Amino acid sequence: MEVDITGARVFFTIHTNIPILGDLQISETLVVSWLVLILITGLCIWLTRDLKTENISKRQAVAEMLVETANNFVIGNMGESFRYFVPFVAALFSTSVVSNLISLVGLRSPTADLSTEAAWAVIVFILITRQKIKTGGVGGYLKGFTQPIPVLTPFNILSELATPVSMACRHFGNILSGIVINALIYAALAVASSALLGLIPGIVGRVLAQIPILDFGIPAILSVYFDWFTGVMQAYIFCMLTTLYIANAAEA
Amino acid sequence: MEIQNLVGLVPWTFVFQICNLLLQMYLIKRFLFKPINDIVAKRKAAADAQIQDAVKAKEEAQSMKAEYEQNMQEAKTKANDILTTAQKTATVQSEEILREASRQAATIKEKAESDIAQEKRKAVNEIKDEIGSMAVEIAGKVLEREIREEDHTKLIDDFISNVGEGV
Repeated sequence: MEVDITGARVFFTIHTNIPILGDLQISETLVVSWLVLILITGLCIWLTRDLKTENISKRQAVAEMLVETANNFVIGNMGESFRYFVPFVAALFSTSVVSNLISLVGLRSPTADLSTEAAWAVIVFILITRQKIKTGGVGGYLKGFTQPIPVLTPFNILSELATPVSMACRHFGNILSGIVINALIYAALAVASSALLGLIPGIVGRVLAQIPILDFGIPAILSVYFDWFTGVMQAYIFCMLTTLYIANAAEA
Repeated sequence: MEIQNLVGLVPWTFVFQICNLLLQMYLIKRFLFKPINDIVAKRKAAADAQIQDAVKAKEEAQSMKAEYEQNMQEAKTKANDILTTAQKTATVQSEEILREASRQAATIKEKAESDIAQEKRKAVNEIKDEIGSMAVEIAGKVLEREIREEDHTKLIDDFISNVGEGV
């Protein structure tokens, strides 16, 4: 029994010959990302149809609750002055959750591609750095690396760079591990069911052994943890860290 | 079909994902936060307006109540005044009536007394005349002769006035 876990498939390649960037590969990751983008935007448009000031529909109540939750999350973690961060954090969280959970319908999660998380982490890193420069000025930002003693400067730079790397790798690792474990479970249960049903003598056993009957139902239960819980949790952690790092940068 | 590495950075994917996230941020802001924030602000404005209306109505009601109470107070005071005035007037009038009555009674009494006195005098005069003529008659009869009434009138008058004082 072979278990094959691969990266994103490439649907077609556009030869650009641009240095560093290389050829443009339209991969599964990008296609599903655009699908996620359309899904979330469509949901937003659907939720905010015919809004009313009183006697609101359930749909509007849900939309208002989502906005309220996002506001509370961001303002609770960062303070009232960071209200303008709410759409960014909401976009980050919704994209992450939908990307993580879209694997439930059989598509490949865009978050199972390190490039995706790296992109997000770099944006967050830029925001953190921008906030630090805004708070202490360029001089204060650079001086911060020599604190508390100049000898620590290399370590400070390392820890600064470790922030986006760890954020990206944490998220990616969790989603990838979910995919790997799911693949392993499917394969293992197929082997187990074929061994189990192969015990039945004669032709019946040989036919039934071809059907991986244990793959029905059992992976769904395990997916509650590996897909649902991990997917939502990682999105939450990513957003939590984003808000906390930026809020910290404002205090320093 | 080409397959990318399981773990690796693909530059184009990286660039596209940055754009995707920023685009998603704009779309969420445009299609979720803006309409919801607008509607919440509108609702807040409506609620504020209602509260303001209620406050205004309450103030109006209170001013009306105050006015009403003042009117009531005034009416009560006026009623008391009227009552007091009426009582005073009644007292004055009754006193006047009493005084008038007593004055009239006094007048009537006086008049009656004067009438009585006059009657008495008249009666006395009549009696005096009668007695005078009677006395003359009797004296004439006693003397058996004609006495001249004029000669003795003075005498008789003196006598009668003495008698009258004795009455």
